Amino acid sequence: MGFNFSYFVTSFKQALLYVPVTIKIMLVTFVVSFIIGTIIGAVRFYKIPFFSKFFSIFVTIYLGLPVTVALVLYNLIFLTCYNDFANFFHINKQISDINPIFVAYIALIAGYSCNLSETVRGNLRSIDKTQFEAGYSIGLTKLQTFRNIIFPQMIPNMIPGLLNNLIGILKGTNLVSTIGITEVMVAALYPCQETYSYLEGYLAAAALYWIIGIVIENIGHFVIKFSSKNNKEVWNYD
Amino acid sequence: MGDYFSFDRFLVRIGQITPYVLVNFKMVFWAMLIGTICAIAVAILRLKKIPVIEQILIVFISYMRGTPLLVQMCVAYYGIPIVFGNLIYNAFGINLNRLDAIVFVIIAFILNEAAFLGEIFRGAILSVPTVQTEAGLSIGMTRLQILFRIVLPQAINVAIPQYGVDLIGVFHNTALAFTLGVLDMMSRARTLGVSTGHTLEGFVVVAIIYIIISLILKALFYLLEKKFQYGRR
Repeated sequence: MGFNFSYFVTSFKQALLYVPVTIKIMLVTFVVSFIIGTIIGAVRFYKIPFFSKFFSIFVTIYLGLPVTVALVLYNLIFLTCYNDFANFFHINKQISDINPIFVAYIALIAGYSCNLSETVRGNLRSIDKTQFEAGYSIGLTKLQTFRNIIFPQMIPNMIPGLLNNLIGILKGTNLVSTIGITEVMVAALYPCQETYSYLEGYLAAAALYWIIGIVIENIGHFVIKFSSKNNKEVWNYD
Repeated sequence: MGDYFSFDRFLVRIGQITPYVLVNFKMVFWAMLIGTICAIAVAILRLKKIPVIEQILIVFISYMRGTPLLVQMCVAYYGIPIVFGNLIYNAFGINLNRLDAIVFVIIAFILNEAAFLGEIFRGAILSVPTVQTEAGLSIGMTRLQILFRIVLPQAINVAIPQYGVDLIGVFHNTALAFTLGVLDMMSRARTLGVSTGHTLEGFVVVAIIYIIISLILKALFYLLEKKFQYGRR
């Protein structure tokens, strides 16, 4: 046993083919979670009756559940209960025709929506009260104020938090391998099953994740610079 | 739902799975204990800005932040015996290939925490304004006195909430250890499921245990945060 560089290259090439899968899971999860997270954050911030209480309890409890456990649990519920569910709604689809990636999406989106809702809520709090009052004073409704005044101001402040979340989601996509979906790590291990030398496969996966992470971080820093530059130009009224 | 979930089995599972939470606690305990010590070293070394060590630490932290923990665990599990196997066998007579997987999981956690907590501590120390240090110097305190009496009490204030979040994160991440064959709650739930044919209840119990303990930890750190608010009460 030792480190074999050619195995590493083979694994790396194999894993490279599955980068689009990982990127797709990451982006879909991020975008949907961001939308849901914004809604939850706004509902909790504006203290809308019932929903505010419901989400505050739900988010607190759900943040206590590891994504891995949620994934395994949902996958199990999906596997055991799908047939009853399909019979009840008269869906003529076998369980084998359904891509388990939906289970992964549900688990990841539910988990990261809660994370992102906390980020959004924290940023909503940091916005000056006068901004809300300015909106109301010219006769905008709450929704219009939020959409036209508050949300655009939140974005620049939120970018570092979003970036952290995005990298968290990138690392989270790795967990879907526990329910048997092929992504970068599983793909990197394919060649290892012939050689029984797994270290190279894991190192190849690590290198690939590292590269993707660094690329995302650099794009994020560029966006932060760009947005802060824009801010100064637009908002130097005071 | 039929026969998939029965409450009686659920109650039995609670008794069968709960003792294994100690394995998770063991991982969290060692990871946080040694991880914190390593993190303090990382933070100090990064604040001192020693030329070569600085760059090495930047690469180390970037690796730990940029790769998933599951991959890090597997690299530790397969890599450490290959790299250090002969050395440790000759020096201590321990065959690394025979060691329990939990050791490698804990090593992966420690390295991961050294990076993450190191950044948290560094940020906390940097968040104390330099005027505070200058105030200490002006009344003739030594560097060590300033560190322990002025800078650290204020830095702890900043670090504790983040430390709490990190600790809960480590506790959550112990759920990954079952993929390497550590006998913790997850693998106990899985083996019970395989032997009886009813898997669902076990994992529901695991989920509930995780949620309850996370909430307790969160509450504890909230109280701790309140206690350490020097001068801001």
